[in-house]
Amino acid sequence: MADDKDVLRDVWFGRIPTCFTLYQDEITEREAEPFYLLLPRMSYLTLVTDKVKKHFLKVMKAEDVEEMWFDFEGTSLKWHYPIGLLFDLHASNTALPWNITVHFKNFPERDLLHCPSNSVIEAHFMSSIKEADALKHKSQVINDMQKKDHKQLWMGLQNDKFDQFWAMNRKLMEYPTEEGGFRYIPFRIYLTMSDRPFIQKLFRPISPDGHTHTLGDLLKEVYPVAISNDDESKRYQVVIHGIEPLLETPLQWLSEHLSHPDNFLHISVIPAPSD
Amino acid sequence: MSDNAESLTETQKDEPSTPQQPTEDSGTADEKKKIDVLLKAVGDTPIMKTKKWSVEKGRTVQSLSQFISRFLKMEANEQLFIYVNQSFSPSPDQEVGVLFECFGSDGKLVLHYCKSQAWG
Repeated sequence: MADDKDVLRDVWFGRIPTCFTLYQDEITEREAEPFYLLLPRMSYLTLVTDKVKKHFLKVMKAEDVEEMWFDFEGTSLKWHYPIGLLFDLHASNTALPWNITVHFKNFPERDLLHCPSNSVIEAHFMSSIKEADALKHKSQVINDMQKKDHKQLWMGLQNDKFDQFWAMNRKLMEYPTEEGGFRYIPFRIYLTMSDRPFIQKLFRPISPDGHTHTLGDLLKEVYPVAISNDDESKRYQVVIHGIEPLLETPLQWLSEHLSHPDNFLHISVIPAPSD
Repeated sequence: MSDNAESLTETQKDEPSTPQQPTEDSGTADEKKKIDVLLKAVGDTPIMKTKKWSVEKGRTVQSLSQFISRFLKMEANEQLFIYVNQSFSPSPDQEVGVLFECFGSDGKLVLHYCKSQAWG
């Protein structure tokens, strides 16, 4: 299964070329140049943008600087969503680089959570992993791990260390052979045209009669709108890590190989581009 | 089971409305539905006199947390930690309806609350 391990690496090392521009109304002492950065799809904005902050602080007075936050075309970007998800959901069919606007004032309390330190990101990340394992293994695997093992997962993410991360994460991807898969698949389906943040439900990877559930089966069950009829042109794209997996792909395989480091499958359903 | 579950919204008649009320905009019957939440105190955190609440599905964890803090008359600087399954802390913007669907049992969602970090 050498190919499958390659998928894990490809997912981990996915990057999005991004251009950060300071919001025009921010008060600066001189002109602020845009800042270019390759953002890791699998990380979080506040974890990887220290350089961005340092760059813009060079042209600003300390008293004009509050908590940094980002927007894309007017949409506040939630730092607690993985970067790749934010891009797929909001900027999939726009030209690269991804143009993000940087703010240091008027934090949008209604839209965004505060992120005062990296320990907040760590707590959020670990909670997501725990929630995913509650679904996959009734929390048995994560609870059997020691505190230092949990720390290794976080350090692997924070320091972009694939081997360090997967040495631990592979345990979270195991399951009893006789089961054929996890108990339930941790997934979230995000919709651009909806009020609700995302769809998350209980869904088994294998049906009671042993039938392997696919991505298509999942969508048919929880969001049938996403799958167009044969005679209609495709209205929506179902995107994971910037690609559209075939609907026939087994959900268990997707969960093991295309999950984010938080062990969730984050799936974007976006309008298909009109020609 | 629900006859002694008080409605979260009714007790807030005299309090300012909580910041996040996603159900105000949406009019679908699905989101107006309520789920039963059972609140359990951890450690030496004060126990709520009323433990069973009927909460709108679209209510967020943060909104519920603020409600508990006010009910317990906690100080502004005191933190409250909420746990599901005694294992993870849901994101503040998570909807209780989703948590109920995935982690509810016997027709209710059990949430543990604590003034300090109980399960890391």
